[in-house]
Amino acid sequence: MAVQSDIVDDAGPYDRAKALSAFKLGDVTFYWITRLSAISVLLILGGIILSLIVGAFPAMKEYGFAFLWTQRWAPSADPPVLGALGPMYGTLVTSFIAMLIAIPVGLGIAIFLTELCPQWLRRPIGMAIELLAGIPSIIYGMWGFFVLGPFLANTFQPFMIKIFDGVPVLGAIFAGPPSYLSLFNAALILAIMVLPFITSISVDVFKTVPPVLKEAAYGVGCTTWEVVRSVVIPYTRVGIIGGVMLALGRALGETMAVTFIIGNSFRISSSIFAPGTTISAAIASEFAESDGLHQSGLILLGLLLFVLTFFVLAGARLMLMRLEKKAGN
Amino acid sequence: MSEMSVSVSTPAVHPGSQPLPEAPAKVTVRNLNFYYGEHHALKNINLALGTNRVTAFIGPSGCGKSTLLRIFNRMYDLYPGQRVSGQLMLDQTNILDPKLDLNLLRARVGMVFQKPTPFPMTIYENIAFGIRLYEKISKSEMDDRVEKALRGGALWNEVKDKLNASGLSLSGGQQQRLCIARTVAVRPEVILFDEPCSALDPISTAKVEELIQELSENYTIAIVTHNMQQAARVSDKTAFMYLGELIEFDDTSKIFTSPTDRRTQDYITGRFG
Repeated sequence: MAVQSDIVDDAGPYDRAKALSAFKLGDVTFYWITRLSAISVLLILGGIILSLIVGAFPAMKEYGFAFLWTQRWAPSADPPVLGALGPMYGTLVTSFIAMLIAIPVGLGIAIFLTELCPQWLRRPIGMAIELLAGIPSIIYGMWGFFVLGPFLANTFQPFMIKIFDGVPVLGAIFAGPPSYLSLFNAALILAIMVLPFITSISVDVFKTVPPVLKEAAYGVGCTTWEVVRSVVIPYTRVGIIGGVMLALGRALGETMAVTFIIGNSFRISSSIFAPGTTISAAIASEFAESDGLHQSGLILLGLLLFVLTFFVLAGARLMLMRLEKKAGN
Repeated sequence: MSEMSVSVSTPAVHPGSQPLPEAPAKVTVRNLNFYYGEHHALKNINLALGTNRVTAFIGPSGCGKSTLLRIFNRMYDLYPGQRVSGQLMLDQTNILDPKLDLNLLRARVGMVFQKPTPFPMTIYENIAFGIRLYEKISKSEMDDRVEKALRGGALWNEVKDKLNASGLSLSGGQQQRLCIARTVAVRPEVILFDEPCSALDPISTAKVEELIQELSENYTIAIVTHNMQQAARVSDKTAFMYLGELIEFDDTSKIFTSPTDRRTQDYITGRFG
């Protein structure tokens, strides 16, 4: 008791108020630091959009909405004719094919790693996936150019043509003269590049499924496939779609590897083995030597990519909300 | 199965002081040993679960009662490094046969867990899901089966107007009864309860206990519990386990009134555990 009263005497009521106000000051500072950090995101985003709009304004004024459905891209014509249809088509098609391949494969790897893989194989595969994410994109580009391209042109495309020759639609998709540089080559490389995103995020969210929930599913007699399909994937739906969105964002915007192997042709061809271009590849390959209206057109392409990505992500959110409604949440 | 009323005051020993006559064995355990890696978790267990009887397993934490339960449906198979030796028969089926179809075994031996584990789907789907694994039936038949199962789980009246709501939207006690209904829907022969009431409030507990007694008319039931009053209320036979050994296995009324082993007496009177 004596000790306690000593302390109270030493630290009088005045001192305590002072100490508290010091804490309060710290609290306010902390609040403002975090708040400014959050606001800076908005400022940066707003600044980027604003400068894109300013840069793209001359092209917008010149071409209007026709920019969206013009296929011709002739910056050296007088006056220059610019249309975004080719790059937009290429961006959407390569990303679509890439996701078509990467989602099932990525989920498959994640399911194998978390549900089926023997313990000793887990680390090597997990590390290989992480290394895949660490490879610089230019390496992917070179590999696509020197290895994948020749294989696709000399072996895979003739094979597909032989199978689908004469089949409506599919025949046209695979037709055409062989080319090392093609939309499909770029899509394959994109699929490999985004695979680690889908896999590592799926593995992380699969690990959050409570073991007892899985046991309950096994307990009513489910096979591993049924447990994964009916319990693990629905339980982790939001996380998986998050990973897929991240991958899709990467695929839509990936530049270096794609520029290397897509062929930079603004003409739209029905064949996925024909050269094409994407928005980011077009900007990367032309921006350095552009000026005037041409440069403004490229900036407008950049703005379009921004908008395109935004709509794709918003669409994915919407899909997620509808899924959740269906599941009764 | 009739709807139940909430009754918190259940008799001390079920179903009266007179034990039921001996029932033929449904599950027979002989010289069973179980290992978690090097750890010898179950030592030479011998007992039998009587057909359509409730057998309770009591004992301090870590005594191996949940482990034993998880051998009955081979749940331990999901994890590497766990192995078992001895004999375990479900009627004429050898449960420990490595070639046994585990999905069929688990259809015959259902399990209800400590925490409610509704699947991330609607209430209706939670029930229909298990049925669909084994049977292809029409929509109207399925509706019947789901209703029957939910009545069996004493949940029908509470959820009949919201069958399309998520199973996760129910309260804890309702979720647990949903899980029981789900287990019953597959038409198992044996139901394992692993501390089914430890996460529930007293009223939900009373409902689940009453449900267990009703289910024992048609199913062979094994229940692990830390609550000795619960064991006394719901079970016909009680097994007391301690440090991986089966110390005493007898009629519930006998275990709780005149146990033979000193350790059993110490445990049920609360001297350790």
